[in-house]
Amino acid sequence: MGHDRSHNVYSFVAYHRRVSFFVDIMGLVQSSRGFFSKSDWRNALHGIYTLAETGSAFTGAGYYGAWIENEFWLAVINTGIVVVSVVLISLTFGTLGGYALARSTKRYTIWLLFIALAFRAMPHITLVSGYLLPFFELNIWGFLPTAIIVLVAINQPFTLWMLHSFFLSIPKELDESALVDGCTRIQAFRHAIMPVMWPGVITTGLFSFLLAYNDFAVTATLLSQHNQTMVPKIASFLGTTQVEGNVMFAVASVVSATVPLFILVMFFQRQIVSGLTAGAVKG
Amino acid sequence: MARINLRNVSRTWSDFVAVDNLSLEIADREFLVLLGPSGCGKTTTLRMIAGLEDVSSGEIWIGSRLVNKLEPKDRDIAMVFQSYGLYPNLTVYENICFPLRMRKVSPDKYENLVTRAARMVELTDLLRRRPAQLSGGQRQRVALARAIVRQPQVFLMDEPLSNLDAKLRITTRAQIKSLQAELQTTTIYVTHDQIEAMTLADRVVIMNGGVIQQIGTPTDIYDRPANTFVAGFIGSPPMNLMHGNIADGVFSGQNALVCGLETNYNGPATLGFRAEDARITPESVAEITSEVLAVELLGEATSVSMNAGDTIVCVKTNKNFRAQIGDAIKVIVPVECCHLFNTHTGEKLAK
Repeated sequence: MGHDRSHNVYSFVAYHRRVSFFVDIMGLVQSSRGFFSKSDWRNALHGIYTLAETGSAFTGAGYYGAWIENEFWLAVINTGIVVVSVVLISLTFGTLGGYALARSTKRYTIWLLFIALAFRAMPHITLVSGYLLPFFELNIWGFLPTAIIVLVAINQPFTLWMLHSFFLSIPKELDESALVDGCTRIQAFRHAIMPVMWPGVITTGLFSFLLAYNDFAVTATLLSQHNQTMVPKIASFLGTTQVEGNVMFAVASVVSATVPLFILVMFFQRQIVSGLTAGAVKG
Repeated sequence: MARINLRNVSRTWSDFVAVDNLSLEIADREFLVLLGPSGCGKTTTLRMIAGLEDVSSGEIWIGSRLVNKLEPKDRDIAMVFQSYGLYPNLTVYENICFPLRMRKVSPDKYENLVTRAARMVELTDLLRRRPAQLSGGQRQRVALARAIVRQPQVFLMDEPLSNLDAKLRITTRAQIKSLQAELQTTTIYVTHDQIEAMTLADRVVIMNGGVIQQIGTPTDIYDRPANTFVAGFIGSPPMNLMHGNIADGVFSGQNALVCGLETNYNGPATLGFRAEDARITPESVAEITSEVLAVELLGEATSVSMNAGDTIVCVKTNKNFRAQIGDAIKVIVPVECCHLFNTHTGEKLAK
């Protein structure tokens, strides 16, 4: 059994070795698994076991098993729904709330922010375990919207803080001249602030995307099997090692789950860095 | 065009009074400058008139309207900020056009109004640029054009020249002055720079600690300061102030004895005089005798500082005057140039 497993891992690695540069990194990581389990880690590069098993150095069996047989595609769709909803909702509230907090002259704003920070500081699982009972009672456990609401709640303090400080870096004169020039508050936000807020919003959006995408505590406890997202799904592959090919499925899904992240980070790295160091929106 | 009326206006935060019971009437077409050190409440006053700051108590009237509860956009004002407040995503043309767009002016008038405003501040060649591509002076001119394009009832300017370098400040200052003369719009201008105040203003309001110290024409506040604060704030160097006693028209202080003052007051008093009014004399009958502390060459004059008791007195004299530090020096102050103040209240003493 152990032999089967490791050779399947090799096959996956070999399959991907030349595909692209970031899978190469995965290949290195995964090859260490082979290194620990059996004979020679270089087998991963040469794919001799895969050759012996399937007649070719490359196989898509891991992907077929994970995506089709084990319905990983459903987890991908669920993840998509959860992530997009969480990002959109938390950005909407975060932008409006962060702007209001940044422009308010009231003293309680800082306390609101501190309370938000306190909730953000708690381990997610402590919040989630508190939600379980009421969710069962209300009969809303297991559904995607439930997980989305909880993830938004966990995410919101962070987006609020980040956008709050971003809006602070936009000079107040900008909205004030808009107000004097004939705008209402909402119009001033729309015409003067929105055009310059995108770097901060994109950065914050990326971070809340990552939080929702990578979350395990909330999605694993609050979602029924059918509604599972990718991360708990991968965990479930790893949980039952008795079944042949499970680790291979896990590895195949891990690669599938990682690819979008790499693309995202490569595509947005400039925004991430410039958003984190933002502040220069001077006219 | 409108007159502005502030009646007993105050702005307080829980433990801080920024503006304290301020009443002020500003005539139509007047150029009024609010002058004072930082934190004196001048900007708060301006922002209350603009509607960017709530009024704690009192009334603000623009024309015949009580504007306390009106939004900034409904007050028919335009404002120029110290840091320009331009919209970085819009071109110069679009920036100037913005107030017209927001106020639903019909689009076929844009072209005319914007080019007219741009011509007045000499921006015609830069209309396609974005604010980031402009220098500080050009940016502030865009802000000026944006303010004048709609021809509002009131211009409010919050230290518009403070971010510019010294040379640009002088040219932009002249530009603002001629703009206001041309447009004849009531203008309130906030600054901490007394030269700006003196050169621009029809009337100057000097504030300190949220309270008006003196209202008057530039000549008024320079020649007839109402109290020691104004005397010590206006002028470069500010008025010399010496503490002492008056008895029968004779002021006596440390190193100083001034006779022939026209006053009936007897008791502790502060004597003030301007550096350029005093005169260094070789005669034996002097009013201030002391030793030279420093000699500064200013080009058009020489400024001599000396110790008089616990204060330093500064006298401007002939540009060829030279002396060594520590030399004995004698100064005469003409009686008609002396200002007398109550030492405790700082108020000017009645003649």
